[in-house]
Amino acid sequence: MSTTYYICKYTPVELLEALGGTCEVLDEMPDNFSLSDQVGHPNLCGFGKSVLEACLSGHVKELVLVNCCDTIRSVYDILAARGEMDFLFLLDMLHTGGPRAAARTRAELLRLAEAYAAYKGTLFDPDRFRAAFRPAAEQEGPYLSVMGGRVGDRLFHAMAEAMPLPLRNHTCVHDRFVPPPEGEESDLERLMEPYARALLEQVPCMRMTDVTGRESLRRSPDLKGIVYHTVKFCDYYGFEYSGLRRDCGVPLLKLESDYTAQSSGQLRTRLEAFAESLSPETTLTGKGRGQMKKGYFAGIDSGSTSTDVAILDQDRRLVAQVILPTGAGAAVGAERAMESALTQAGLKAEDITATVTTGYGRSAIQLGDKSITEITCHAKGAFFLDPTVRTIIDIGGQDSKVIRIDETGNVVNFVMNDKCAAGTGRFLELMARTLELSLDEMSAAGLDWKEDIAISSMCTVFAESEVVSLIAQNRRTADIVHGLNEAVAAKTCALCKRLGGEPIYMMTGGVSKNKGVAEAIQRRLGAPLRISNEAQLNGALGAALFAMELA
Amino acid sequence: MQDLISSFGAWVQAVCEKDPVRARRWLARGYRAKELQLRFDPRQKDRPADRMVAEQTMRAMTLPLVHPERSAMASLFLPCEPLQVMGLYPYSCEGFGCFLSGTQAEQSFLQHAESQGLPDTFCSYHRVFIGAAEKGLMPKPRFILNTTLACDANLLTFRRLAEHFQVPQFVVDVPYETVEPAVDYVADQLREMVRFMEQETGRQMDEGALRAAVARSQRSMEQFDRYMTLRADKLLEGEITGEMFTAFALHTLLGTPETEAYTRQCVAEAEKALPAAGVRLVWMHTVPFWVEPLRKVTDFSREVQVVACDMCFEGLLRGPMDEDPYRAMARRVVCSAFNGPVERRIQRGIDAARQVKADGVVWFCHWGCKHTLGGAQLAKERFEAAGIPCLVLDGDGCDHSHGGEGQMATRMEAFVEMLKAGGRSEA
Repeated sequence: MSTTYYICKYTPVELLEALGGTCEVLDEMPDNFSLSDQVGHPNLCGFGKSVLEACLSGHVKELVLVNCCDTIRSVYDILAARGEMDFLFLLDMLHTGGPRAAARTRAELLRLAEAYAAYKGTLFDPDRFRAAFRPAAEQEGPYLSVMGGRVGDRLFHAMAEAMPLPLRNHTCVHDRFVPPPEGEESDLERLMEPYARALLEQVPCMRMTDVTGRESLRRSPDLKGIVYHTVKFCDYYGFEYSGLRRDCGVPLLKLESDYTAQSSGQLRTRLEAFAESLSPETTLTGKGRGQMKKGYFAGIDSGSTSTDVAILDQDRRLVAQVILPTGAGAAVGAERAMESALTQAGLKAEDITATVTTGYGRSAIQLGDKSITEITCHAKGAFFLDPTVRTIIDIGGQDSKVIRIDETGNVVNFVMNDKCAAGTGRFLELMARTLELSLDEMSAAGLDWKEDIAISSMCTVFAESEVVSLIAQNRRTADIVHGLNEAVAAKTCALCKRLGGEPIYMMTGGVSKNKGVAEAIQRRLGAPLRISNEAQLNGALGAALFAMELA
Repeated sequence: MQDLISSFGAWVQAVCEKDPVRARRWLARGYRAKELQLRFDPRQKDRPADRMVAEQTMRAMTLPLVHPERSAMASLFLPCEPLQVMGLYPYSCEGFGCFLSGTQAEQSFLQHAESQGLPDTFCSYHRVFIGAAEKGLMPKPRFILNTTLACDANLLTFRRLAEHFQVPQFVVDVPYETVEPAVDYVADQLREMVRFMEQETGRQMDEGALRAAVARSQRSMEQFDRYMTLRADKLLEGEITGEMFTAFALHTLLGTPETEAYTRQCVAEAEKALPAAGVRLVWMHTVPFWVEPLRKVTDFSREVQVVACDMCFEGLLRGPMDEDPYRAMARRVVCSAFNGPVERRIQRGIDAARQVKADGVVWFCHWGCKHTLGGAQLAKERFEAAGIPCLVLDGDGCDHSHGGEGQMATRMEAFVEMLKAGGRSEA
């Protein structure tokens, strides 16, 4: 039997089933957008592209769309023009409620009913219509809510696996609930009146004019946290997030995906870090924190650029610190760095009581007893170095992050930028190469600036061509470097502001060694940055401290 | 001149950090100075009609900065005749997005919007304005009126601004289908909007004056339509920025005596102009006027001219006007080429290209405009099937940081070279 797919909660699923349809939510997360990019545009939202991908691959032949947004309107335009679908319909859903909108919605439902009945060769069956309504799911107990832009099954499972509490999907179509009409009415035209109203009276999505009803999603006392998801190039939910980040009442994690299957994997670090911050006591498998253990404790931070190892003795003294290039493989890099650290400390592998791994490569390393995200480890390390710190700015090789911690060192909130090289160590490295400077030379060069040059593009590729043209204009190297430092600082401070960063600030990660960038960030923040000698080792140090707390 | 503008833009941004109200006063002075320069500087190369529309726009944009208490924010596609009749200044969010970019003062506002968690993929015109409003540069209007047309950004920006300014908002919901019940639905909402305005201002709408304003709109549209037909065989050099001023005149200022005078002047100039010469282009969507290398290709050139832009002709209606002014305004919105499937917008572009005898079309994918970029490939196919070469150009209408000036100009120049040689683009 053929399946009619739908994407929006305002779709009259019960009506389609009453006309003999078998309906299913279209939720496929593809591996890539190779088919949709041929007919659409790369900057359409990932979900829209996934709908195109599913239809162009031939998997979906019947589709009922709603004019949810500009991307879905475009998806319909493209599919309609190709004419390859067996059944394709775009329902014109208004943006408001009220009697006038309900009347127009009813007319749209009847238009759909006519087209679908003609396609299926069926008649409206009132009994099937009533049987198609599903009761609202009843769940009790503490839970976390996934809100925002659509989260498909694959991504939802990845989230559920990482979270310490049950997760409810309140995104987009997954939040659909329509009550059945009262009474015994069986006439299609008359039934569509209350049905149109019921469809419109659902918890509104962000494309509706009045979205105050969305507050009901946050009213339950059992709600313990929100994972807020946005899809790249879908703008609706970024606006709701912008309001929630100021006043949410529960812990909030912001995630963005491009709706590909890979994106579920890429979000792992953030999900795990959020889970760790929700229940710090379960971050450790062992017998509690702060207990003094015997021996030595190692932390390995496997980053994209360098692998760092810190070894602490039982008195929390740093007995070895190693920073080596990661090289081709995280596991090999970690073994090499560990060997080097053991040699530095004059220890053998068996002298190490416990090891915690962190960083991008943490799961690939066999050496550790436990792996903890770099976000939690950075917070731990920074709090150890200076317990007055409340905001950590970490700029590493391929990501930048800002972490807020409370007076006990626990992570309160964090943001991460790792989708592109903008504002990261990699960006500066590439620019240094273009300017034919070493990283050390670049670090100092920007301090001696005279002319305030604005590098307007933060895209690494465009910024490079801007730098090349500035070189061609004979601008001073110091001024260009200053412009680059300012660009990185602007990006970083925007992240910091988004999170509501508060003094005292500490900067960690490789880029903290760049004096020009650090100075530019301080100027923009209007507050000093604390940069420890162990700034680059901070993640490994945090991991080693966690190792001390392991059994 | 460019250095002076960029210094002024940087200065406005810097002042705004400490004293946004002072920065606003300077911005208004800057726009007023530009208006005076347009009127009196004999070195200006613009044709009288172009100068006229630029001056009118400058003045209209300055008024809400100086008299916000007499201004109502209105989205670009909202019929503004009711505002004019009630003596309210239309305050254009999209217009200020453009103007701040033209003043090279947009970066700190874009950064502010991003720091508030707003997506960087959102339309940059709207992002600039939100950033400027939330940093205090933009004043609080009396109230906000907006349509759901032409894009998602309208729903998001104006709701956020109403919350930010703590002012009432009225939304005109525009159905997707271009059918008569949709015209009725919008006309009813426009009537309701006028009641809302009466309640907010304590003034009564003069229905006779409204009818006269809507009739002026119709005459202005007919004259502009005639101008497009005349332009088909004429050479009229100008700047691509002018298309954005015209879009403002034919939307926000439509219904004013000024717009009617402007369209009359357009016709008069076209009648006397020299015969057509060079490559003639139709531009679809907004114009990235900040891209200097692009302006070098098109501005004041006998070789290449942008002869029409769909931001200007998308709403032109032919035929007898509805008797009821509310239905006339509603029809304009419902029948906008930006409403409904993209095929309608493409067809309007094809018709316009034939009307002005264009050699080619540029479909400009402004960053964040999903409707335009989603229809890009289809547009290219349809235009070329109609025998009109089409260049799909990606860029940003107002955010300098999206860069790509060189790439944009190279594509444009290559397209022009190809048209001169009589070929088709594969880009």
